[in-house]
Amino acid sequence: MNDPYVSVKGLAKSFGEKRVLAGIDATVRAGDVVGLLGLNGAGKTTLLEILLGLSPPSAGSALLFGNPAVAATATAKARIGFVPQNDELIGLFTGNQYLDLIATFYPDWDARFAEKLVAEWGIEARKIILGYSVGQRQKLSIIAALAHKPDLLVLDEPVASLDPLARRQFLQQIVEAATDERRAVVFSSHIVSDVERLANVIWVLKQGQLLWQGDLDTLKESVIRVHTRADAAPTVRARLRRVVAERSVDLSGHKLVALRAPDEDWSDLEQQLGAGAQIERLGLEDIFVELHS
Amino acid sequence: MFILNPQSGTPIYRQLIDQVRRMVASGQLAAGTALPSVRELAVEHAVNPMTISKAYSLLETEGVLERQRGKPMTVAVQDRAQVPRTQRLQQLGTQIDHLVLSARQLELTPEDLAKAIRKKWSEE
Repeated sequence: MNDPYVSVKGLAKSFGEKRVLAGIDATVRAGDVVGLLGLNGAGKTTLLEILLGLSPPSAGSALLFGNPAVAATATAKARIGFVPQNDELIGLFTGNQYLDLIATFYPDWDARFAEKLVAEWGIEARKIILGYSVGQRQKLSIIAALAHKPDLLVLDEPVASLDPLARRQFLQQIVEAATDERRAVVFSSHIVSDVERLANVIWVLKQGQLLWQGDLDTLKESVIRVHTRADAAPTVRARLRRVVAERSVDLSGHKLVALRAPDEDWSDLEQQLGAGAQIERLGLEDIFVELHS
Repeated sequence: MFILNPQSGTPIYRQLIDQVRRMVASGQLAAGTALPSVRELAVEHAVNPMTISKAYSLLETEGVLERQRGKPMTVAVQDRAQVPRTQRLQQLGTQIDHLVLSARQLELTPEDLAKAIRKKWSEE
């Protein structure tokens, strides 16, 4: 297997006394689309900045294309596209001038692709950026990060200001990019339904630690909510404990949530729990909420 | 062509597998029918292409679909007699889960359900 694009080990980051990230081990490989989820302040932006070498880790290592991220060469940087949470557009430039400037940094800039997106996304590229809406600024930043066809595309809350139609256009662009198996995408978003469409790998960051990381399909197949009637609850809970080795979370009296360990076989869970239990499979948003309760 | 709900607790590749199996079993998708490419389906539904190709690969392993180099995925010739009964039953998959769940919520018995199914069956 090829070297991962991103590889972090034992990563920690503190700002003064404040510890923001701790004990993070993660990799991003070609073909991955990683969705990074976490509450505000969980450390998402800090993590993305360290992956890109914009900020050094306080402990542990962060490798980008096999070399320390902070020492990334110009060649390595040309393989990256980044959409930061707060855009870095130049207000007095027109959209076209800005894209022309960015194009000079990248040998592989695809001007026709950029023009096509500018037209499709309705950006007023002849006007100065200061007059743009927040949504227009966000779209322009995305085009600036996409048009050199980067191997690694990193997006920090890219769609926060986009309306549903613009978000869908953006998602389809990312899907197009992801059909190229040499490329990888890492993006953070509070819009869980977008993450659920786009990502095949999920990272859940909670208070600076990766609470869960792995395949989205596996995650969905590994979390269930079991509903029972009050009288059946003790029996069902006892049976659930027997099947589910660890990290089974007990909530209220008749709602139990279980997280499967990798080696557990849940194929006949329904039978094992008996008639008093109803198993509900959860979408990503519910899983996210349960992981935080 | 397919109904995919990314927000469901059932992973997208599972939904796709279930639908293709059912459509092939019911003859809605005849042998030799070409399926949309991974890219087409992924862009149309705005979902991760890997989840689509995972479904296609698993369906290919099962013998439901076949792939020829440089051509679209097509529906394989099905020999229904050779598909074991248990496997055909499995293809009803989540539909049974939903039915049983609803029946339980309505406090019906398996017998009630069986009676209703028999009645419906004899109508058609």
